[in-house]
Amino acid sequence: MSTLSVEHVARIEGHGTITVEVADGAVKGIRMDVIEPARLFESMVVGRRFDEAPLITSRICGICSPNHAVTSIKSVEAALGIEVSERTKMLRQLLVYGSYLQNHATHLYLFAAPDYVGQPSVFPLAETHPDVVQRALRLKKLGNELTTLVGGRPVHPITAVIGGFSAEPDARELEAIAVRLHEAAVDAAHTVELFSEFSTPAFETDGEMLALVAENDYAIYDGEVCALDARWCRPVADYRDFLTETVVPHSNAKHSTVGGRPVLVGALARVNLSWERLLPAARVVASKAGLRAVSRNTFLNNLCQAVELVDAAERCALLCEELIAGAGTSKPVDFAVRAGSGTGATEAPRGTLYHSIAVDSDGIIVSGDVVTPTAQNLANLEADMRKFAPTIASLPEADFLLGIEKLVRAYDPCLSCAVH
Amino acid sequence: MTPRVAVIGLASDFGCQVQMTNMEDHLLDVLGAIELSYWQLASSGHLPAEYDVAVIEGAVTTSEHVDTLARVRSTASTVIAVGACALTGGIPAIATDGDLEAMAATVYGEDAGVVAGGRTAPKPVHAVIDVDYRVPGCPIRPEEFVSVLQRALAGLSDRPPREPMCAACKIEQNVCFYERGSVCLGVVTRSGCGARCITLGRPCTGCRGIAEDANMAAARDLVVKAGLDASAFSDALSLYNTLSEVR
Repeated sequence: MSTLSVEHVARIEGHGTITVEVADGAVKGIRMDVIEPARLFESMVVGRRFDEAPLITSRICGICSPNHAVTSIKSVEAALGIEVSERTKMLRQLLVYGSYLQNHATHLYLFAAPDYVGQPSVFPLAETHPDVVQRALRLKKLGNELTTLVGGRPVHPITAVIGGFSAEPDARELEAIAVRLHEAAVDAAHTVELFSEFSTPAFETDGEMLALVAENDYAIYDGEVCALDARWCRPVADYRDFLTETVVPHSNAKHSTVGGRPVLVGALARVNLSWERLLPAARVVASKAGLRAVSRNTFLNNLCQAVELVDAAERCALLCEELIAGAGTSKPVDFAVRAGSGTGATEAPRGTLYHSIAVDSDGIIVSGDVVTPTAQNLANLEADMRKFAPTIASLPEADFLLGIEKLVRAYDPCLSCAVH
Repeated sequence: MTPRVAVIGLASDFGCQVQMTNMEDHLLDVLGAIELSYWQLASSGHLPAEYDVAVIEGAVTTSEHVDTLARVRSTASTVIAVGACALTGGIPAIATDGDLEAMAATVYGEDAGVVAGGRTAPKPVHAVIDVDYRVPGCPIRPEEFVSVLQRALAGLSDRPPREPMCAACKIEQNVCFYERGSVCLGVVTRSGCGARCITLGRPCTGCRGIAEDANMAAARDLVVKAGLDASAFSDALSLYNTLSEVR
């Protein structure tokens, strides 16, 4: 028996190591060791004031911090019985979508694309494919500018508070960015074309797909959790009833199952579950790229992220226009502190994110729980590795390991989120 | 010779490394001035045997981190610590006060022993090795990182602002939070962010660390004069500055 490994897998967020055990040319075992150190966020918030929860828990991840901030705020509002204005909800959607633009553009171009053009990083592409790198930087920059406009800065938004926003962009700024968002949909459509040209292995995952689904919207901020195969939808507050988390010895991140099966969340699950609710522009480019609902090929998660870039750019432009025309306020609503518990969920770029919290009558946090997309995905990622590895076992060692890394990167894992 | 730079992450949320990639307009220029020897977030490869400048993000929370830092200090001629986690212990240092085993059990239950191993009480980088340059903030500001990196490459001294941010806050024409009946740590926190949070309607949380010129006694008096509970000031400090000696 010999062991192959990829230590500190590159171009993913956080620290993880892939280990493959090989005997007589066959793959006997394969696993993803998550060595990212535990910062113990759930114990960190205990004893602190309720309004510190979003500030502390958004530091779980600097890559998708707007999602953690908004989701934590939703959990506190659920615990305290706070209803926010439609305008606040729209601004929060812009924050979440800003995070989609940042994250998907970064993952697709800086992390995933180098694999498909045989480079160790994006830097050599700056010389060979300057136009592609410029497009990547434009999309990522626009995502940053959108989160900065709404949240005050690209990482760890300042203005999103419990009950509303502490400051709002003015109409002129919204107008200017709306124009650029419409333009960015073109860059996004080119991204879909680019990723549809990359050849992906024929592969099907066996995991159950979960995502938020809403009746009339491509759900990212609200909705119920729906399961693709089991065909049920449940309120987010019931997440502990359908998601089972277990501690595994080789990972600082817990593993998740639903109905005894591993789980896949993220762009592929969302596109499958909300295909008809994509904006027409996004559905057209997706269809042209050969994407169909339902797809079970994990590698197509990249292509689905690209499709979501088109959807997000168009949708953000519409949201900006609606905010300019619309009345109402995002000024934080008044509320009273009371004992209670609540759960919030959003679709983060990598999948459904849950925060839940319980506070006492003084607003002091008694317990907190965070279930991140990557933590949900890890068991399925390993199941996929076990299924995929034998199909490429005849390749030379370097190519074999690159194949496995590509699969891992297709998940766009965020290990600091997964462990937290 | 072009300076070789390694970017190393300890316990963090990677937010400061993200801010480094958020220099879109400068990224390729900066890359022209350095040779990027190692950046796990952006490129395949291993931490090389030799490099000149180490950029360190994150708090020290495991015995492996301590070993890594010892190796980094003996290899790099220049060490730059970036972000609150590396400078003050940051948010991870909130987990310092409690019993580490009990805290791990809160998260992992009875299986806490099999995971989260090698954990030590969170510390800033300077508690383990000498730090040559500091880029404060949670997260750092990309332009401040570029400026400190340029100072480091030119061999200039480390000069983070020493004064608290009240003057910068006045320039922004903000109404003082103490006049609005809230604790704000801007009175003792290192300036250099343009009092961004306060300008956007939120009190300063102290993420840039305590300024060398801060007058802690006067600040505590201010809290009481504003009719606020003195303990509220300490509670606010415990968010980012729980390990600070002057706290």
